Amino acid sequence: MEQLLVPTICTVDQLIEETPDVRTYRLKFKDDSLTDSFKWLPGQFVEFSLLGSGECTFCIASSATRKGYFDCSIKRAGIVTADIHNELDEGDEVGIRGPYGNWFPLEELKGKNLLFIGGGIGLAPLRSLIQYAIDTRNEYKDFTILYGARTSADICYKEEIEEWKNNESLKVILTIDKAEEKWKEHVGVVPKILEEKVNPVVENTKVITCGPPIMIKYTLMSLDKLGFAPKDVVTTLEMKMQCGFGKCGRCNIGSTYVCKDGPVFTYEELQKLPDEF
Amino acid sequence: MNLTTYITEPAGLQSFYEAIVATNETYAPVEKLGKFDYKQIKTPPECQPDSPIEQTMSIKPLFFPKSARVMKYEATAEGTDVTDTTEDPLAGKRVILGVKHCDARGLQVLDEVYKWDYIDTDYQKRRENTIIISARCEQAATHCFCTSLDYDVEQSDAMDVAVINGLDGKVYIQARTEKGEHFLKENASGLAATNGSALEEMKKQYQAFSGSFRLKMDYKEINGKMQSRFESPAFEEVATNCVSCNTCAFVCPTCHCFKITDERIRDEGVRYKSYDSCNNIYFTLMAGGHNPRPAKYRRWRQRAMHKFVYYKERFGVNLCVGCGKCTISCPVNISIFEVVNQVSNV
Amino acid sequence: MDYTMQIQDTAARLFSEEKIDLFIGYRSTGFDNNQVPVLIHHYQDVEQLVFTDKSVFNLTNYLKYEYTRNKRVGLVVKGCDSRSLNLMLTENQVKRENLFIIGIACEGVMNEQGEKAQNCVECVMPDAVIYDELLGAPTGQREYQVNADINELAEQPLIERGTHFEEIFENCIRCNACRHSCPLCYCNKCCIDQETSTLYQGSNTTSGAFHALMTWSLHLAGRCVDCRNCEKACPSHLPLHLLHKQNEQVIYENFQEHLAGMIKDDRGAFYKYSMSDPDDFIM
Repeated sequence: MEQLLVPTICTVDQLIEETPDVRTYRLKFKDDSLTDSFKWLPGQFVEFSLLGSGECTFCIASSATRKGYFDCSIKRAGIVTADIHNELDEGDEVGIRGPYGNWFPLEELKGKNLLFIGGGIGLAPLRSLIQYAIDTRNEYKDFTILYGARTSADICYKEEIEEWKNNESLKVILTIDKAEEKWKEHVGVVPKILEEKVNPVVENTKVITCGPPIMIKYTLMSLDKLGFAPKDVVTTLEMKMQCGFGKCGRCNIGSTYVCKDGPVFTYEELQKLPDEF
Repeated sequence: MNLTTYITEPAGLQSFYEAIVATNETYAPVEKLGKFDYKQIKTPPECQPDSPIEQTMSIKPLFFPKSARVMKYEATAEGTDVTDTTEDPLAGKRVILGVKHCDARGLQVLDEVYKWDYIDTDYQKRRENTIIISARCEQAATHCFCTSLDYDVEQSDAMDVAVINGLDGKVYIQARTEKGEHFLKENASGLAATNGSALEEMKKQYQAFSGSFRLKMDYKEINGKMQSRFESPAFEEVATNCVSCNTCAFVCPTCHCFKITDERIRDEGVRYKSYDSCNNIYFTLMAGGHNPRPAKYRRWRQRAMHKFVYYKERFGVNLCVGCGKCTISCPVNISIFEVVNQVSNV
Repeated sequence: MDYTMQIQDTAARLFSEEKIDLFIGYRSTGFDNNQVPVLIHHYQDVEQLVFTDKSVFNLTNYLKYEYTRNKRVGLVVKGCDSRSLNLMLTENQVKRENLFIIGIACEGVMNEQGEKAQNCVECVMPDAVIYDELLGAPTGQREYQVNADINELAEQPLIERGTHFEEIFENCIRCNACRHSCPLCYCNKCCIDQETSTLYQGSNTTSGAFHALMTWSLHLAGRCVDCRNCEKACPSHLPLHLLHKQNEQVIYENFQEHLAGMIKDDRGAFYKYSMSDPDDFIM
């Protein structure tokens, strides 16, 4: 197994400061010939190592339809992520293993209305799917993105959100938790805006959501109230992982391995898992 | 294929062992600090395969080392240089003598997770290149309950060669797998092959062995009941005594959780894969500070349920082999046998 | 030494007078003459309690957990246990008013082989030094003895001693049972955990074990009371007392015959400053 744990070297091509504590690292393979063999689908994750500090699990925040690079958005949280923020700069090298895990049910999403609900850094895995869906726009019907952050400064991917807003085939709704000067969009927590302002069509719609546990909890309740069936709600789970391929025994909830059977689950599947959260 | 059984006197067994040690890379339980551990032995007199069952560490470390080097890396002017310096899994063949039934069974259980999806090639290689010769379990120790766990000791092919002490004073050496058969063809040349009547003697020995167990459980019932005990308050009760160390998992022949750690000195570093345990409070602590299992009883629930429910659900075998090593090694002697019984009877 | 009846009576009285929420004692496992700690919450369970020369575990270890911290606890302490309890009181880990302590004037406990344990043979203070009720006849403080194994080791040349320790640490599996069984290792975060610090190796190599165990033993220098909970907990049977006894001896010889936890509010050799401390090691 030890060979499976050896990472491949990637170079930081671009570093984007998203918010005070979130950075996006745009990565390219140091050995260019590997670029084409690295294939992933939205929802999958990689093991990202800052050599010397350790390894962390991050979802891939960009779509394979944008060729030549992939993004990882990293929030400063623990020892390794703090080291990444402190030490890792453009041109530096990191180790990557992956991609691992399952992906969003792309086939099932075809021909459906898509409703994305994201909170904070939780937009990262959704961004991969959003980019993918934008690049294959004809496959889907209505397209709504509801994104919330604590403050306007905590909004990730600001430039890209502007692009989305200018894209007429998308409907983008932004919200922050508390009112601020100069803020022209909605104010209030995501579940509240979802119920009061979005008025989503329930018929033929798939909901894809990701965010902090507390937001997910209340959003799922709101979706239930609005009449969405649990099988139409898709989310990605966060769980401590080390190996990423079902050996290290860390991420299992019941007999389900989050790293192999997940991280993407429908709400229906989540309800069947033992209540570890 | 036909599997042969050989018969000999106890002295013949000793020379059988000695011949193996002389010509093979051999491992056997060796006493160290009052505890037996499977170590390489070089000379025949060291050969003492009949170590007490519970006082012996499992053979897991010979297949899944307590700390394995994953890679080395070095920051040079041209960039980072990663060398895959995985320790050589196992070049040649080796023989392990005196393996307890439960240990051998433990490997069979581990096989399931290692051959699932991503295949652990190092582990496979170590498995393929090892001949396992089981020890003579004559009497169950205090905390043994292997026969209760869906495990047929008599027919098991977990070991390649089984050594059985007949009640008639003879020793039976029986091939259990094709690999074992070949091995005995080459190494048991001085021993006489035997037939039907001898097998009857072995059966008697097994009956005597099976009758010597203090602990017995109805596995089907326990497994069925445990499935609905996730919310059981009994977990809280059984976990109070636990001191949250990792002993039970590290001595367990089937626990396979590991962690990956980096060690860096200036521009060079090494990455290791080492044992980890679900009883460790940091096991599921995430960088953001969220920990799904902060309380002791939650970690114990994971441990007991993983052993008796989850693994069976996923891979079809029970993750506990009933060796009793965790109980004897535990600082406060928490018995997994008692835990699952208590939880399923509440 | 059998105080089973007395302890049961006292525990029953404390429960009936509602003076305690739980009682920490020993119960028999029913085989191999073994005893394990037991936490009793109800009057009707006091019959489980026993106390003989197989009552080995230092029960003050259980005072460091959340579920005992703010409860009124009754517990049994032997001489060494009472010293660790003294230290826990001094270091503000437990509140005296929450405790009802049954002290034992200990005659020594048995090891697995059925002999008197080494630390009991060399014990300096067999009587409980802090108690609400004392069982047995106190025999008073004894003369300090240098540990037999340390004496033996001291005669070996340095290189041989190094190899000896290397062989010992090679068997360590880094399960941390020693630390978790130590009543004085109550820190929420420990520096030898790879998860909380990057100072120490997280791997399971001999050097990693060496590094971690040495640090751990130094954090207990001047505090260790030689109850040997760590050593008894060790699944690899490492002679951890070699580390602790060496520290103890150095401190005894250099710091005015200091012994940990003998007096309440005595903070230990490394935590107090005295003009008469030797300073010959300062350059």
